[in-house]
Amino acid sequence: MTTATTPPGLVDITIDGQSVRVPAGTSVFDAARMNGISIPTLCHLQNQTPVGVCRLCVVDTGARVLTASCVRPVEPGLNVVTNSEKVLGARKTLLELMMADHPSPCTRQLNSGDCELETLASAAGASQPRFAKRTVARGEDASSLAIAVDHDACILCDRCIRGCDEVKNNFVLGGMGKGYSAGIAFDLNSPMGDSTCISCGECMVSCPTGALTNKGVVGTAIATGPGAQGFEAEDLLQIPVFKGVSGTFLELNRGAIVKRRYRKGEIICREGEFGSTAFYILEGKAKVSISTPIAHVKTQGGAKGLFKRLTSTLVAREEDKREEETRDRTIPIDASVDLSYGNPVAELGPGDLFGEMTCMNFYPRSATVIAESDVVAFEMLRNVLDIMLKNKSFRAQLDQTYRRRALENHLRGVPMFADLSPDFIEHLKESVELQRFAPGQAIALQGEPADSFYLVRIGFVKISENYPGGEMVLAYLSRGDFFGEIGLLDGGVRTATCIALDHVELVRVSGNDFRQMMERFPSVRKGLEAVAAGRLAANQQRMQMVHNVPIDQFLSQGLMEAQSLLILDLQNCTRCDACVNACADAHDGVTRLIRDGLRFDQYLVATSCRQCRDPLCMVGCPVGSIRRRNSLEVIIEDWCIGCGLCAQNCPYGNINLHPFEVMIDDPERTGRKKAAIKQKATSCDLCTHLKEPSCVYACPHDAAHRVDPRTFFADMLGQGHPK
Amino acid sequence: MRLDRTQRGWAIVSLAIFSVSAMVYVFYALNAPQGPRGGSTIGLVFGSIGFAFMLFAAFLGARKRVPTWRIGRAQAWMRGHLWLGFLALPMILFHGRFHFGGTLTRVLMWLLIITVLSGVLGTALQHFVPRAMTSDVPLETIYDEIAHVRSLLREEADRAVESICGSLGFTKASIEEGQRAGGFTALRTMAASAVPLRTSAAVSAGASAAVAAAPEIILLSEEESAPLRRFYVQEIRPFLENPKQRGQRLGDAQKAASAFAGLRTLLTAAGHAALDDLSDICDEARQLRRQEQLHHWLHDWLLLHIPLSLALILLGAIHAVMALRY
Repeated sequence: MTTATTPPGLVDITIDGQSVRVPAGTSVFDAARMNGISIPTLCHLQNQTPVGVCRLCVVDTGARVLTASCVRPVEPGLNVVTNSEKVLGARKTLLELMMADHPSPCTRQLNSGDCELETLASAAGASQPRFAKRTVARGEDASSLAIAVDHDACILCDRCIRGCDEVKNNFVLGGMGKGYSAGIAFDLNSPMGDSTCISCGECMVSCPTGALTNKGVVGTAIATGPGAQGFEAEDLLQIPVFKGVSGTFLELNRGAIVKRRYRKGEIICREGEFGSTAFYILEGKAKVSISTPIAHVKTQGGAKGLFKRLTSTLVAREEDKREEETRDRTIPIDASVDLSYGNPVAELGPGDLFGEMTCMNFYPRSATVIAESDVVAFEMLRNVLDIMLKNKSFRAQLDQTYRRRALENHLRGVPMFADLSPDFIEHLKESVELQRFAPGQAIALQGEPADSFYLVRIGFVKISENYPGGEMVLAYLSRGDFFGEIGLLDGGVRTATCIALDHVELVRVSGNDFRQMMERFPSVRKGLEAVAAGRLAANQQRMQMVHNVPIDQFLSQGLMEAQSLLILDLQNCTRCDACVNACADAHDGVTRLIRDGLRFDQYLVATSCRQCRDPLCMVGCPVGSIRRRNSLEVIIEDWCIGCGLCAQNCPYGNINLHPFEVMIDDPERTGRKKAAIKQKATSCDLCTHLKEPSCVYACPHDAAHRVDPRTFFADMLGQGHPK
Repeated sequence: MRLDRTQRGWAIVSLAIFSVSAMVYVFYALNAPQGPRGGSTIGLVFGSIGFAFMLFAAFLGARKRVPTWRIGRAQAWMRGHLWLGFLALPMILFHGRFHFGGTLTRVLMWLLIITVLSGVLGTALQHFVPRAMTSDVPLETIYDEIAHVRSLLREEADRAVESICGSLGFTKASIEEGQRAGGFTALRTMAASAVPLRTSAAVSAGASAAVAAAPEIILLSEEESAPLRRFYVQEIRPFLENPKQRGQRLGDAQKAASAFAGLRTLLTAAGHAALDDLSDICDEARQLRRQEQLHHWLHDWLLLHIPLSLALILLGAIHAVMALRY
């Protein structure tokens, strides 16, 4: 009862006979808890908006029915009873109903004994419900690497959904279905591992039962071995980089992080290996390098045998630069530094994080890291790294390292920025913003005002344009690429939609800085305008093509996606294999085409790179060695580490891995070299060094042609056979 | 190489060369006091031109050895080979005034005639056979892969029949992924209980068809499966082992269709899907056999043409040296 003595803004109520005074607007649940009266609940968490769905916190306020205390605000003079027979009976019935729909013991109860539902049910004597158990299973979802989902254990309390949406703003989780089929869903009911979930762990931390459990709890952890040391959450929280990280989360992720000691000369990770962990160096120095020889495989063509061996050789890059290579380039790797093309070796020290792409996106290791002195480092799985990257102080430290060590190289790696003055680079180093995007997150939408220019630092960005009836992928951009210049240069509106394909980090140059750069450096402006014009023209061409989309078979064979097809006219082809031999002759005995594949009418679409408009092969290359050149050819650079990801990604089987013999440092005898076999990806390069594809040039029967499928097949699809 | 409109330029030039040469020869033959002779100036010119044409034709083989050299497109070389090689015959006939002469020249003349005729035959074969190959062998694979594809077809057939009849002792114990025709790797693991693998037909028709959902497999009883077991052991397996053997019912498409239709009436519906797969497999095996036949037609004539050409060039050079020197 509010009396004359009740200060303004406060309310007096009675709970279980005890008078309490709380701020107006306080829920009955909070009022009770603030005064030491505990009300059981399952769906309510202090940091989430109360929803009152579990009804376990019911109390008697003297009204016609019991009320959920978490959503019932206090009123002056309210008399609340939290533990009457009626209330306790209602709670017991609710617990029995929930237990009838819950496997007992659930995974959480089994592993850590702290399933909130089972604990409450046990206390209330409702462990053995009077009601029939659910007979139809709702299933499990083990698709996520970090979190196990058991839909049968879910009590639809909504805590995970609010954790995902309200606390983390990820908006991945939601409710689906009705009645017995109701449950939680990721995105549009995708498996968790395929959804846009970033495994932040908030849902798992929020879950009161075993519906969402950390896989560490069920046995997935980094293998420990000699030199590895596991951690307790309390120990980790003492380390500066873990300050501010959720203790509960670290506790649940025991085993997902280990401290390792490496002796001088020991290999920490090898290029091309698949892994799922990142490393954070605490002490010592490490050398990061690419062991693949940086050289072109240069062939001038010639007879087989001795003559060919004499004319085909691995040559230093300086002797065989490509036309567009006007300046030194850098090789992007999965660390805070880039490698120089000529000398691909760099040093990593305390505070450096590497393996981020491997850990977050499961790409192969981009380089070999060897301990240069005794090294102490954390090795961690994605769930731990993700949480650490969300830690502001750790994030700031990483960003600072990047600005100090790699940003300048990164900026200068863009050919157009070669003329930027050192002072402006310094200005950019301080003024640019480093941004992170989760998989599927929109960076910019077509039609939005353009206010920034972006450089890709980590990950892959899909650039697409909407057209009536669909979406056209214009490009995939990876580390070192840039976008956003068209909108800023032409009218200030985004001309395409940019979506993060995976874990993406960008360097954002603000519109003001961009305009300043354009004014101060005309050569930069000229270069960017040329690039923008080229991109617009290419986009225009692609869109034009989309409007002429022909018949189903053409589409189902992916021919529409191709920019250049190697086709063999089977009515002319005598199966002499001159094309295959010529290809092998032009590429050191390794053919890049197979005279087989899908047929379209009388034409055989040979298994050879199609130079796709949507080159899926480029997505994921850990060292950015596969790229598009002059808007047409997809080429594989010499520093390919042979991980094979591009070959896996190519839907048409047109990229192959071939062994090459190279000389590498002998780890057992310092200063000496030994022969080793390295794999390298190969695909058709259109024989650009020979002006015309050798397969076409060498076909004696006018059967092999490199064609633009749209123009070549146009007549056939429309009016008859091509001339 | 197909003889089509694109050859018109070469045909006109060749006809012009032939016409001019014929006119020159006729004029020369009519006006020469002692009649036309190979050793005369005009005769030597005809001989030199003819030998030059032969040499050019022979250089096609060398040209193919250096496919990346930018010394003219192989297609132009091939056309030159055809037309100039053909023109070599009238040139040499003009040179030899249509007489075969002594032993060496007689041998040379016959070599030339056989070489040119074999070339004409080869041209005709290369004009028609690729079309036949394209229409008759939609599941064509790389020639060198045929034996491998056959072994895969056998495994696929074994698996198909054993999936409904139970073990016949054909399936390999080791489980391995197979390489399909045309370099396509099988998407499904080959396991004893698995449904039959997709065929090359599915691959050629498009990837989507290749991964179509498999029907439910039901094991037939021994009595129900007896006709299929018998047919498989007595006819299908031997045919897949040696499709070239004559007199096999499955070697003929119509007879095979009739055999499969008859067998279908003896099997329950549960066995029909496997039977369809076996029918497809036999069809693919027949196509591969046809490919081999056509491949031989396409290339075997070269076994005659190339050695004779080399002999012709060698003996022609000897003849030239001997004739000019002595």
